[in-house]
Amino acid sequence: MKKVMIGNHAVSWGVKLARTQVIAAYPITPQTQVVEELSEMCASGELKARFIKVESEHSAMAACIGASATGARAFTATSAQGLALMHELLHWAGGGRLPIVMADINRAMAPGWTVWTDQNDSLSQRDTGWIQLYCETNQEVLDSTIMAFKLAEAVDLPVMVVLDAFFLSHTSEPVDIPDQADVDAFLPPRHARYKLDVNEPHAFGALTTPAVYMEMRLRQQEAMDTVPATLVKVEAEFEARFGRRYGAIESYRTEGAELVLVTSGTITSTTRYVINELREDGEKVGLVKVKMFRPFPGAELRAALAGVPDVAVLDRNISPGHSGIFAEELRAALYALPAAKRPRVHGYIVGLGGRDVTPVTIRDCIQRARDAAKSVTEPEREDVWVGVKS
Amino acid sequence: MPDPRPNPDIVHGVPPISVSNTSTIGNRTGSWKNIQPIYQDKVAPCNAACPVGIDIETAMDLLRQDQVEAAREVWLRENPLPGVCGRVCDHTCQGACSRARFDEAVNIRAVERMLGDLETPARPMAPARTRSEQVAVVGSGPAGLACAYHLARLGFPVTLFEADPEPGGWLRYGIPEYRLPRAVLSREIERVRNEGVTIRCGVRIGVNLGWKDLERFEAVFLGSGARARESFEWQQQDHPDVRSADDFLHGLRSGERGGIGERVIVAGGGDTAIDCARSARRLGAEATVLFSGTPEEMSAEPGVLDDAVREGVKFEYLARIVGLQTAPHPVDEPAIDAIRGMFDAGEAAHPHPRLVGVACVRLRPADGADGAVGARGGVSVPGSAFVLAADTVLVAPGPDASADTLPPDLHRRGYVLKTDEFGQTSRAGVFAGGDLTSEPRTVAHALGSGKRAAIGIDRYLRGKAKETVPALDATALRYGGTGSMSITRWRGDDPVKRAGEINRVVKFEELNMAYFTNAPSLPDRRRAPGDGAAPFDEADLGLAPDEALAEARRCFNCGVCNSCELCMIYCPDVAIKPHSSGHGFSLSYKHCKGCGLCVVECPRGAMTMTREGL
Repeated sequence: MKKVMIGNHAVSWGVKLARTQVIAAYPITPQTQVVEELSEMCASGELKARFIKVESEHSAMAACIGASATGARAFTATSAQGLALMHELLHWAGGGRLPIVMADINRAMAPGWTVWTDQNDSLSQRDTGWIQLYCETNQEVLDSTIMAFKLAEAVDLPVMVVLDAFFLSHTSEPVDIPDQADVDAFLPPRHARYKLDVNEPHAFGALTTPAVYMEMRLRQQEAMDTVPATLVKVEAEFEARFGRRYGAIESYRTEGAELVLVTSGTITSTTRYVINELREDGEKVGLVKVKMFRPFPGAELRAALAGVPDVAVLDRNISPGHSGIFAEELRAALYALPAAKRPRVHGYIVGLGGRDVTPVTIRDCIQRARDAAKSVTEPEREDVWVGVKS
Repeated sequence: MPDPRPNPDIVHGVPPISVSNTSTIGNRTGSWKNIQPIYQDKVAPCNAACPVGIDIETAMDLLRQDQVEAAREVWLRENPLPGVCGRVCDHTCQGACSRARFDEAVNIRAVERMLGDLETPARPMAPARTRSEQVAVVGSGPAGLACAYHLARLGFPVTLFEADPEPGGWLRYGIPEYRLPRAVLSREIERVRNEGVTIRCGVRIGVNLGWKDLERFEAVFLGSGARARESFEWQQQDHPDVRSADDFLHGLRSGERGGIGERVIVAGGGDTAIDCARSARRLGAEATVLFSGTPEEMSAEPGVLDDAVREGVKFEYLARIVGLQTAPHPVDEPAIDAIRGMFDAGEAAHPHPRLVGVACVRLRPADGADGAVGARGGVSVPGSAFVLAADTVLVAPGPDASADTLPPDLHRRGYVLKTDEFGQTSRAGVFAGGDLTSEPRTVAHALGSGKRAAIGIDRYLRGKAKETVPALDATALRYGGTGSMSITRWRGDDPVKRAGEINRVVKFEELNMAYFTNAPSLPDRRRAPGDGAAPFDEADLGLAPDEALAEARRCFNCGVCNSCELCMIYCPDVAIKPHSSGHGFSLSYKHCKGCGLCVVECPRGAMTMTREGL
């Protein structure tokens, strides 16, 4: 069944089709429609889930942690300050190895007060032990939400499905809704190996001494290590049933490219458009979309970019005092390549706080990358701000 | 023995998630606490405020579960007349209702009425034992009916004597039909009879049954009520158009039209005054209630006042009659009428000047500022005299007990018989209650006093028979220690299992309003004369059964566990579990660490934090 829907409702439909059992959430723009739709689905009975109204995002995540610890499938959604307020509990979910799924609608951090998009909210949480998947279209949002549960439950790690405020959250697109029976076959009820059981009580997250703490973190890291292969399997199964797959990264028209742009989120779609135009003009330009930011797909990116002379990363985020965060991570990942095959990485800061990233902005970045590639005198700054007033 | 098999989940010496290898059941977190909650049923404020002593809260809980028959049984344990009280009681229970501080009090009276009006007859209570001691009850008003009913349920043979031709006393002869239909009263009295009470009407003590005759009974309860009246200064004129409200109502109930004129003044401020005025309206007369106090000082219940206003009754507050205005009879009336009147069999000719009005004076409330101390009604305002047109005056002050048929050796103050709280008079074996005693003059108080006397008589007779009787601890029998008495507590056969019951009224602050949603009360449906009904058809129609059930569901069940499970859900130590009996919960103090969540979350205050037992 195809339905025209906004990205927020694509999340809601994914959560519903996944037969989520517990939803706890606190409203915040631009996320609110996700849980609004879910509360209506719960109220009408079409989704048999316990909807828990809470007094803050901190409590929302706490409720999801409790629910997930009992073996239930739990979901929440938030944005920006709400996600920041959850910070402590994101560690509890990640460290506690609880397969919670959360939608984060990328919203820039205040101050100044804002509701528009950028990635600083989710990227600020990169070290909390959550898998992060950035989406490009509403269809990808729905599909990723369903797959997120399967992935999370396979590796006992929480998953954050990330989508751009307004460009996805509030924009309508046709979305193919899978049949419930097919989703049920793809995603059976959760079977938790460890869960809270009042008849067989155990301590969860109790005091852990230096003698064992490192091993616990190591096991978390080893679980993260299994994610790329698990994602491949999950996507393969999804594709077999539904005919769509996305990949941890996606290479687009990179054959023989002298310059490859690296993007995430909805900027990818605009970039595809620019690449198509440039390719028509015979220019050797390509694109790599990064969908999965955590665990960072270093091996996949090295394979995709080895031997490409120049890479331009479009970051809708900034780590103040350093550079764009995707660029920073990519530089570190590519350093493992032999020098001869290691691309120069040019980092561009674009679209913060919801500023439009248009084909003009992207062509500007491409031009700057080409200029920098030619320059032999002075290295370009690692963070070049594009589209800002002088 | 540790499991010798390797656990594949253990890698690097640790499990995949942060979980203890062993069970934590042995971790006695209960040892951490210095305070602990106890699961404890308390007393709802409505129960404590009910002068009858009804376990209202338990009945509401049963109704919430659609157990209508069980709820009626709970009610009938304490009150034989729910159909009566559901109509005429001033429902002090609703004044105490916690829900009044949240949205609106539960319409308890309408629920009581619904229980009283159930069509299926109630089962009489099978007495635990049969007693041989005969008990006489004098007077079949609410006090006498209650005493006889409860004694019969305790197994005693009871004879109830009534001077009037039909039983009911004030209920039958003092409250008009539109407020208490005869059929309702008769059904309720039938219920008392079904418990085994013998009722003998037309027997007036001192007239056709001597006091000596009563002495063959092992115990006697006096509940003959009050008929005498206060005399007002101006009444000494002894005008025939100035009549007693009691006589008017009594006559009305006995089938007379009442013999009133066109313009009726009713002096008084209680339910009886309002009953007179509304009855006069129903008979087609103008009616004005003249009251010496302010509207707030009236003892009539506000709902009834509203009804009276709607029915056209006028009110003069802060005013007092000081004299009568009369006219020589034939002068202002056509002679032919006067002559006809002389031959009219139904009415005597007028040998006296005809009443045309009453002279009144305005009062101001006595505030004591100028040393003028008045009872209710205050002091006259100089120069404020006015005249109200009237051809009939009905005097409805609170009646005083007529004690002229009582043995002179019973201690009394004025007309009021002195008794202890179980109705015991100064003579052994003689008990009293209702308006004959210092009991407040309401139907509910009369019912409560009759019940208390039944407890007193039970204990007296069992003691006389050299049986071991429980200590008569009035405080323990009274709801919350100071409310009315529960005969169920005296009998010790409460059908409801309670958890660690404490006889204390739960405070509003102990309840958790977070769990209740705003839902205004359903008011009684009302009807005025002219709404297509006959004048004396019932005016207050109560609630339909399903509406009454909805009202019952509004009850907070203050202080009493109703198994909502919130304590169990919130307990972080899984220390609260359903009780093995199937009723309520049990706490494991091995694991309860005294966090207090259950105490805070319990919507009805059935958990208490304490240092006891630690």
